[in-house]
Amino acid sequence: MTLTFIQHELKSFWRSKNTSKSVTIRIVMGFLILILLLYVVVLGFYLDTILEQSFPGENLIIAFSGMLLYYFVFDLLMRFQMQELPTLTVQPYLHLPVSRNTVVTYLSLVSLKSVFNLWPFIISLPFILKIIKPEQGLNTALLFIAAITGLTIFNNYLSLYIKRRSNLNGWVSICFSIFLVLLTLSDFSWHIISFRNLSLLFFGNIKAHPLLVLIPLALSCIIYYINFLYLKHNLYLEELGSRKISHKSSTDIPLLDRFGRVGELVANEVKLILRNKRSRSSVLMTTMILFYGLIFYTNKYYGDGWKVFCGMFMTGIFIINYGQFMFGWQAGHFDGILISKIKFQDFLKAKYILFTIVSSAAFLLTLPYAYFGWHIILVHFVMYLWNIGVNTTIVLFFANRNYKRIDLSRGASFNWEGVGATQLLLGFPLFLLPFVIYGPVAFFGHPDIALGLLAAIGLLFVLTRQYWIKQLEEDFYEKKYTIAEGFRAK
Amino acid sequence: MIEIKDLKKVYAGVTVVDIPYLKISKGESIGLIGNNGAGKTTLFRIMLDLIRPEHGEVTSNGENVALHENWKNYTASFLDEGFLIDYLTPEEYFYFIGGLHQQTRAHVDDFLTSLTDFFNGEVLKRGKYIRDLSKGNQCKVGVAACLLQKPELLMLDEPFANIDPSTQIRLKNMIKQMSRSEGLTTLVSSHDLNHVTEVCERILLMEKGKIIKDIATSSSTLKELEEYFSVAINPFQV
Repeated sequence: MTLTFIQHELKSFWRSKNTSKSVTIRIVMGFLILILLLYVVVLGFYLDTILEQSFPGENLIIAFSGMLLYYFVFDLLMRFQMQELPTLTVQPYLHLPVSRNTVVTYLSLVSLKSVFNLWPFIISLPFILKIIKPEQGLNTALLFIAAITGLTIFNNYLSLYIKRRSNLNGWVSICFSIFLVLLTLSDFSWHIISFRNLSLLFFGNIKAHPLLVLIPLALSCIIYYINFLYLKHNLYLEELGSRKISHKSSTDIPLLDRFGRVGELVANEVKLILRNKRSRSSVLMTTMILFYGLIFYTNKYYGDGWKVFCGMFMTGIFIINYGQFMFGWQAGHFDGILISKIKFQDFLKAKYILFTIVSSAAFLLTLPYAYFGWHIILVHFVMYLWNIGVNTTIVLFFANRNYKRIDLSRGASFNWEGVGATQLLLGFPLFLLPFVIYGPVAFFGHPDIALGLLAAIGLLFVLTRQYWIKQLEEDFYEKKYTIAEGFRAK
Repeated sequence: MIEIKDLKKVYAGVTVVDIPYLKISKGESIGLIGNNGAGKTTLFRIMLDLIRPEHGEVTSNGENVALHENWKNYTASFLDEGFLIDYLTPEEYFYFIGGLHQQTRAHVDDFLTSLTDFFNGEVLKRGKYIRDLSKGNQCKVGVAACLLQKPELLMLDEPFANIDPSTQIRLKNMIKQMSRSEGLTTLVSSHDLNHVTEVCERILLMEKGKIIKDIATSSSTLKELEEYFSVAINPFQV
């Protein structure tokens, strides 16, 4: 039976729309994932060098052992944020003559296939094989691996268990978050406990007392069993699902009323963003970008060119990140839009207004970077103009060529749905164009003229919006059947 | 009101819609029936300019629907949940649709009050987004949004499939009443022969993309249709 389940699981992976149809995209995606993996592998291989430089003069193995527990606390935090509950996959089996134990076992095992369970091994295995094995022998190396396996599994099921509990009761998640924060504070600020010492106490003594390895293994078994029991007693769809039931109320966004019909469309899109998981999390991610400046502006090494780069990203990340999937966000009701009395011009104007509002807000939020000099604000303003002028139009031009629907109810992290050739192609003009203009002029010693040029072009596009809307509209009428068809395909 | 000429749609070598000529006059109420895959929904989609036909055209009031947008002013349709904006509350959705037709909120509220029976207390003010409603209630929202637009042409794809018997009866009465008193042209598809023969004056029977029967409803229509479908399901009967 479990074998059949695994077969179904494999089929669902290969046949899902996420696993993109076209070969080129698959290759490019695979390539990107490979690069990401490669980074982690490289991190793993150079862990000893990194540790050597971070803790000069200290024994490498002690430094490593001291870090391990920190890693797992961090891991738990990340899992809690990003790991998805593998739930609905069991729905088609619940009414069939399959025993509950089998279903629950399957559900539990399937959750192990998360990428989070790979990281610890990719990072730590090279170090264990390179340093620990030669110095302390194969047995100790195996003990380390066993302990890390135990902790990984423990984290896996603990985060799932808590996530499931918090689905039924929101307080659980709040309490757990507070607990994690207190735990971190009590180490870093209050110095009541020290993960480093705890970690050392365990991993430092593992060679002398091999039986210690049973602790993480036992812990992982216990949490697996708790999780198992919990699932078994709560194997009901409405309790497993990640849907919370709460009262939803109608809201108005009065500010947008002054834009009339178009304002209503903007208000709808704002609701779309706020009321759906995928869009919400993708927008939340974009707010992180606002801190980019802290990386680049604090370091004298990065010159003016980086300011252009940073300025574009910080004031325009919403346009880039949210815009790249347009109009896929509205795939669920695209037919409804097409048959209703919405003029496509208005539809486009609404997008422009939304982009302008969010970009303006982002520009205002970056004003504190004036601390690093007013010139930065000037660059930000120029790139803000560029964003609301040029980049909005580029993004909408590609939106007319995006035929992939997006399921709004799923999270954004590690979600490749809706990603296709359009997004990759979109990257080129978006990232290269400003530098094609800025680069040569600045290279010959006139960075101010280069900035002026960018600003002028941005402004020109803002002033000629009406013209671009017309062009995009004509373009859309040619593509709309293909777009609608793509969005209908679930 | 509607004319279809030479219409053909092919998917992967299979003709799914093939209609040489069809005319629907103002005020007619048409029932569209046929087994799964007969091409009903595809026909609806072509008529709403959601799918581009291989050739041929659909004109509404003399204008090709693919080239003009005027038809959107007087055509209301509900084919599936894809027509609803599912992250809005029903109220928000109705205000939005009403707004598109220059109706004030007060006007929309008035209209919704008149549908109190139809909603049966399960749609409005329940504190739910449309996506959290049951299929039947989503269908009610879709149909109500159509009526809100005061259309001259109403197109519904299997509106009876998911709703309860009381609502089915109410919906049938509403359609009948509107087509009689307001000259509404209706186009309704259904798998339930009873419903269609009861509501519609003219029945179009589709098979493999073709309209193979075009009959004015009479007392013998239901029997005739039942005979057709029972033959269709029994290949051994000659």
